[in-house]
Amino acid sequence: MWMAAGVDAEDKLDAAAARQVLRRSARLLRPHRRRVVGAVAMVVLWTCTVLAGPYLVSVGIDRGIKEGNAAALNLAVAGYVAVAALAYVTNRRQIALISRVGEDFLRELRIRVFRHLQRLSMPFYDRSKAGVLVSRMTSDVDSLAELIQLGLAMFVSNALLLVVSLAVLTAVSWQLMLVCAAALPPVILASVKFQRDSNEAYLEVRDNIGNTLSHLQEGIAGVRVVQAFAREDVEVGRFERGNRELYESHMRSVAISAWYLPVIELAGWGTTALAVGIGGWWVHQGALTVGTVAFFVLTLSNLFEPVQQLSQLFNMVQSAGAGLQKLYELLDTPVDVDERPGAIDLPETGDIEVERVSFAYGDGPTVLRDVSLRIPAGARLALVGPTGAGKSTLAKLIARFYDPTEGHVRFGGVDLRDATLSSLRSRIVVIPQEGFLFNGTIRDNVRLARAGASDAEVDDALRAVGAYERFAALPDGLDTEVRERGSRLSAGEKQLVSLARAALADPAVLVLDEATSSLDPGTEALVEAAVGRLMEGRTVVVIAHRLSTAERADLVAVVTGGELVEVGTHDELVARGGAYTALYETWVAGTGAEPVQ
Amino acid sequence: MSESSESTARRNGWRLIVREAGRRRLGIAIGVVTGLAWTAAKVSTGVIVRQAVDEGIERDDMTALRNWAVVLGCVALASAVFTGLRRYMAFREARAVEASLRDRIFAHVQRLHFAFHDEVQTGQIMSRANTDLQQIQAFVVMVPLTISNFMTVLSVTVILVTIDPLLTLLALGSLPFLNLMATRFSRRLHPHVMAIQQESAELAAVVEESVAGVRVIKGLGAERVQAARLAAEADDVYRASMAAAMTRARFVPALELLPNIGFIAVLGYGGHQVLSGDLTLGALVAFNVYIGMLVWPLRMLGMIVAQAQRAVAAAERVHEVLATQPEVTDPPRPKPLPAGGGELRFRGVRFGYGRAEPVLDGFDLTVRAGESVALVGATGSGKSTIARLIPRFYDVEEGSITLDGVDVRELRLRELRRAIGIVFEDTFLFSDTIGANIAFADPDAPPEAIERAARLAGAHEFITALPEGYATRIGERGYSLSGGQRQRIAIARAILADPRVLILDDATSAVDPTKEHEIRDALAEVMRGRTTIVIAHRPATIALADRVVLIDGGRVAAEGTHQSLLGSSERYREVLASAAARHAEAVPHDAGAVVAGDGDGGPPGRPERVGGAVAGRARGGRS
Repeated sequence: MWMAAGVDAEDKLDAAAARQVLRRSARLLRPHRRRVVGAVAMVVLWTCTVLAGPYLVSVGIDRGIKEGNAAALNLAVAGYVAVAALAYVTNRRQIALISRVGEDFLRELRIRVFRHLQRLSMPFYDRSKAGVLVSRMTSDVDSLAELIQLGLAMFVSNALLLVVSLAVLTAVSWQLMLVCAAALPPVILASVKFQRDSNEAYLEVRDNIGNTLSHLQEGIAGVRVVQAFAREDVEVGRFERGNRELYESHMRSVAISAWYLPVIELAGWGTTALAVGIGGWWVHQGALTVGTVAFFVLTLSNLFEPVQQLSQLFNMVQSAGAGLQKLYELLDTPVDVDERPGAIDLPETGDIEVERVSFAYGDGPTVLRDVSLRIPAGARLALVGPTGAGKSTLAKLIARFYDPTEGHVRFGGVDLRDATLSSLRSRIVVIPQEGFLFNGTIRDNVRLARAGASDAEVDDALRAVGAYERFAALPDGLDTEVRERGSRLSAGEKQLVSLARAALADPAVLVLDEATSSLDPGTEALVEAAVGRLMEGRTVVVIAHRLSTAERADLVAVVTGGELVEVGTHDELVARGGAYTALYETWVAGTGAEPVQ
Repeated sequence: MSESSESTARRNGWRLIVREAGRRRLGIAIGVVTGLAWTAAKVSTGVIVRQAVDEGIERDDMTALRNWAVVLGCVALASAVFTGLRRYMAFREARAVEASLRDRIFAHVQRLHFAFHDEVQTGQIMSRANTDLQQIQAFVVMVPLTISNFMTVLSVTVILVTIDPLLTLLALGSLPFLNLMATRFSRRLHPHVMAIQQESAELAAVVEESVAGVRVIKGLGAERVQAARLAAEADDVYRASMAAAMTRARFVPALELLPNIGFIAVLGYGGHQVLSGDLTLGALVAFNVYIGMLVWPLRMLGMIVAQAQRAVAAAERVHEVLATQPEVTDPPRPKPLPAGGGELRFRGVRFGYGRAEPVLDGFDLTVRAGESVALVGATGSGKSTIARLIPRFYDVEEGSITLDGVDVRELRLRELRRAIGIVFEDTFLFSDTIGANIAFADPDAPPEAIERAARLAGAHEFITALPEGYATRIGERGYSLSGGQRQRIAIARAILADPRVLILDDATSAVDPTKEHEIRDALAEVMRGRTTIVIAHRPATIALADRVVLIDGGRVAAEGTHQSLLGSSERYREVLASAAARHAEAVPHDAGAVVAGDGDGGPPGRPERVGGAVAGRARGGRS
């Protein structure tokens, strides 16, 4: 059977990297070592039984038939029965053990990698592409899974089979083996070439499949535009060209195996012909027995099968190795925002102090410069300023999504870097602009804020933001599955779920990013009321996009060009005639310009 | 599904496969012939080995031995050549069938009416054109291979029976079970394989949403919750994989045991036959060779039954798509579009997306040639529906729409749509260069025309500021544009087509109000002397039109100029006020930034995806 796998040139492991990957995998497998030893033993035993069959046939012929010894023949038959039974048992155990060890390993690897991904901090997520991170947990792990499920046992046993077959054939008759070995160099050369070409062909097919599928997807998703501009024929033509390329790359791949497989088959039968011809002549001379020739005939036709399998499996092994290396690299990525040893819990409440904070994303330009600010416990602070001024960066520093490049952020007098992460996340909760929903029910989505919360507590949280009735009225109520990230809920409803999470978490500090996009009129009022209720009795930092929000805040901080330019109450700042006054005027003008009210 | 409709569906599935494969019958026939040649060569090797042993070794005849060895070598060469050829032909034809079906699906779907696309998700069609076709391909490839495999089994049986019927029964008696067991194995394993795929997809979904929603997770400190969900998914994958592994562990060793029973029978019974002189040693060796030869063909014969079932099920689903008739088609005797300025008349139009409650009912409106009309109405009033009826994205249920005096249903679709330029609210751009996206209506448009269209749409400036200008690629691996920039490209795309009628469906909603001012001047220029339908919420945009039409209750409720309606229509004021409440308060978001990140001077946001990835956005299209 044909197994497709391949590895990109830049992902190929050199010998040193391969050794390292192996060493590390061996370390991870240590807890399973008894099973690993068992699996290896089973593979070895099973491989021996595969060879023992033809050997017993040759013994039966030589000792039994040729010598007219019925008892010896019966013994060989009995031996074969035993070997067949052993083959069955070891084969079964081998598959079970390898799968068990392999799947355990995969499961642990998945969980470990995901845990690490979750621990990694925002700077890491800024640096990495989402698609690449997801592919670590999907295609890289899958290439490994494929190897474990289909290839590993075969790879090991084929390699063993090849080596042992050659050894046994040599032991039985090294002269005849020497004659047959003539076929080895061409087979090896062909296999090496095949392995390289088929890898290349596989990658080409893979790329073409990707192109064809994305073209297909774009053609379907954009079909309305295509029809609107009457471009169907052009699009169909373009698709057919891409599809044709895919077909041709498939054919190149088939052509490679179509010349390689005959080489293997020819090697098998060619050496069989040699064994029969030359072996027969040696039998005539009395140098060899007929049984030996029969043994060669039976073994040779299967000798080159492992070579062929190995050259196909080699690509699979390589791609799994490359996947593993990338996974180990990910596991080695240090966590930037981590808990210090000896970290302490934050106090229940306290003022937020931002002291001379500067910040830059990685090596990027400084986006916040020397910002100092004090937010008394229970106060509401509105951060305002133009897009790109640094207000949401400031909010993220307050929630320790990032650590400041210079200066300190403190809560209740404790530097956030000295606090335990669990206390930090339970005191300070961030609600992002868009209500992001996860797969699951509405209840599951709210419960994200506190894993152990009971249904009643979740319901209370929804009531606290005034959203309970709205969701309870759905056909499945709060157990409604939100599909595809909540595509069935409106933007406002998603916001409500997100706010209910905050209510359930019940933090001392709430960091809110106000929605800029418009909501449906029906939920707009509900969301606003929910935000109002949530703010009660908490310290609130809100990134304000609306005048009304800034008006309601106790304190307004104006951030422009990475600097904190004004802090004060709304009225003070409007009266001051500075940056806020200008902003206030554009706001008023923005709404007032519509002569509808 | 009733029994008869199920069997009809199956018949349709078979018919699709047979017809598609029938078109490749020459290649498949060559595949079968080479397969049979391979069978002949392969089968004769056993006979030759037997002759070599009996006539050469046993009788000590070295000339005979040499001759048979040479013959064996030649036959081996032939067998090798044919095995490569039969494989190549089988795959060539199967891949051709797959490619041809994929072309057909794409071409067909491209021409299916909007209502079909409203119903069917992109992913569904994708899986028809991908996984379903693979199942069909895997079956077609097995057909020529199976024929020669079957012939191998048959001829080997015949040869062995002529040597020794009882020994044949003993040697091959266990092999039919190989066939049966392979069928069962394939059938049992398949659901587990599907389950692994399903569970892996669920695991991937948790990873995907955890990466995409990392801000929410960090914001709530919900890392552990997600880790627990992933562990649960990992357990599911583990269970499904182990179930598959256990099925393998149960069947594979048994499948490999069965040939051994044959070998043992040959050695035991056959050996005694040789001892008693009833059988030659060569025949005994030949029996061994033949059992080995039959193992794979029998296993494949077992697999083809299960594969055929999967392929037919897949073909049924493909047939379903291909059998869907386009509802909006060219008329049998199309009329030519007369010269004219683009006069539009709606007469008693009724339409409701096939539902009982119509969106438009008794809708009458005449738009004079060269006139611009703004359609204003509450959400769901049917403004966008009107826009979609003109280019026949949907056909009216009652009444008629005429363009320059001809019913739109009497025009050739291509001609009609070429005469109408539409800019959708949901901007869809293709993963291509910006220039190619603008030149969508006319791929051969000269660069000056593209630039002129971009200037008119207020897009030229930001495009030339990009590193590669008009050659900048947008899309997954390309540049990321803000919503307002995308809309401006879409407007340029419509302008380049130089349509008789221009429809702007909320086309500037994502454009920053301060920038909209610039576009507004340009739009006024484009609209001059061109029939234009504008759907907008912002008073300044509405004011661009010569006439404003208020739509309410599925028909025209009031008309006049913006100013006159403000004065005369209470409903008009209400509609604008609620639109303003939704739109006006939000602070400008599209500050001309190239990167629409999640906030301020943070790291560049990840490129938004164009094309397929926005499938969710190009949904239904109901206003």
